[in-house]
Amino acid sequence: MKTRNVSILLAAILVIVGAVVAGSGRSSSEIPAPPAIGATIEEFTLPDVDGHDRAFKSLKGKNGTVLIFIAVQCPVSNAYNERMEKLAEDYQAKGVAVIGINANASDDAATVKAHAATKGLKFPILKDPANKLADKLGASKTPEAYFIDGNNKLLYHGRIDNSQNPDAIESNDLRQAIDSALGGKPIEKPEAKAFGCSIKRA
Amino acid sequence: MRFSHNLLSVGLIVLLASFAVPAQRKSRTARRAKPAPAKVSVEAINTDALKVLIAKPKDKPLLVSFWATWCDPCRDEFPDLVKIDKDYRPQSLDFVTISLDEVADIKTSVPAFLSQMKATMPAYLLDVKDPEPAINAVDPRWQGDLPATFLYNAKGEIIYKHVGRVNTVELREAIEKLIKN
Repeated sequence: MKTRNVSILLAAILVIVGAVVAGSGRSSSEIPAPPAIGATIEEFTLPDVDGHDRAFKSLKGKNGTVLIFIAVQCPVSNAYNERMEKLAEDYQAKGVAVIGINANASDDAATVKAHAATKGLKFPILKDPANKLADKLGASKTPEAYFIDGNNKLLYHGRIDNSQNPDAIESNDLRQAIDSALGGKPIEKPEAKAFGCSIKRA
Repeated sequence: MRFSHNLLSVGLIVLLASFAVPAQRKSRTARRAKPAPAKVSVEAINTDALKVLIAKPKDKPLLVSFWATWCDPCRDEFPDLVKIDKDYRPQSLDFVTISLDEVADIKTSVPAFLSQMKATMPAYLLDVKDPEPAINAVDPRWQGDLPATFLYNAKGEIIYKHVGRVNTVELREAIEKLIKN
């Protein structure tokens, strides 16, 4: 009788574990919708890769900030490493900062730090361990970019450009959005999509 | 006593051997009869053809899986999708996979992976310069995160969708519900 009870308990545990393993990931409907273009993004504080809390206001650029959700393992995110670093270097003098956000539960801070060093990413990278920022911004994949002006107004959301392959870029959407904003012009395409790796939420 | 013990041992050995020999024969036969893995062909599809594929009149539900060989959870979920395919297609369900790999991989890594998975459902690879129109054609709320699974009813309406590694329990429930209706 006792053995039977243990068997039933074990079977139940197996079923539960199986369901959890089979069901990681979230339905699109469970990820909050991204804020509308023009919405104000609230100030936030997240830990950097050394575990020190960093306030957004201490990192943001005078003329705007690009937040990019990135990943260690995602080949799409990695295909953009050089382009993201070049973006940060090109726009630093123009008062636009680039901040990387790693919201993957599968990437711990030490791994993110080592990855950034290996790939030559010199812009600051923050960890979003409870996906609070990812949920607030409706971020679902890597890479996924948000351009916010100096007053925290969201001006652009989406892809960096149209192709993972640098030789096939035809639409440099993020740079065009920043250039338009810096030039005081309306942003022609404030949202643009591409394929990427789903964020491995906590 | 000792004699009967020995007799019992011999009897047991003979009995075990009688099970083992046919099993061995069977496995040899199975090895010999094993067919060569089928060649999987992957067809290029553009945004217009994708729209037609989703919207065309159907007599059964359509399951569409967007994936890529570079996507870990996509590779991880594939055996589950192959099982679902075997359980429901072609009697109750149409099922197609759409790879987001580079066009250069259409005859190499994509069919190689599908072949390894023993996947026999129709396989496509999205061949577009700009992925956005295709993403919006599938679902304007989808941001393009992979893997992504969409289940359409016969009218072409999305009945179930999931981003990230597929939840097989949920997906099977959604398919069963559609089939019963």
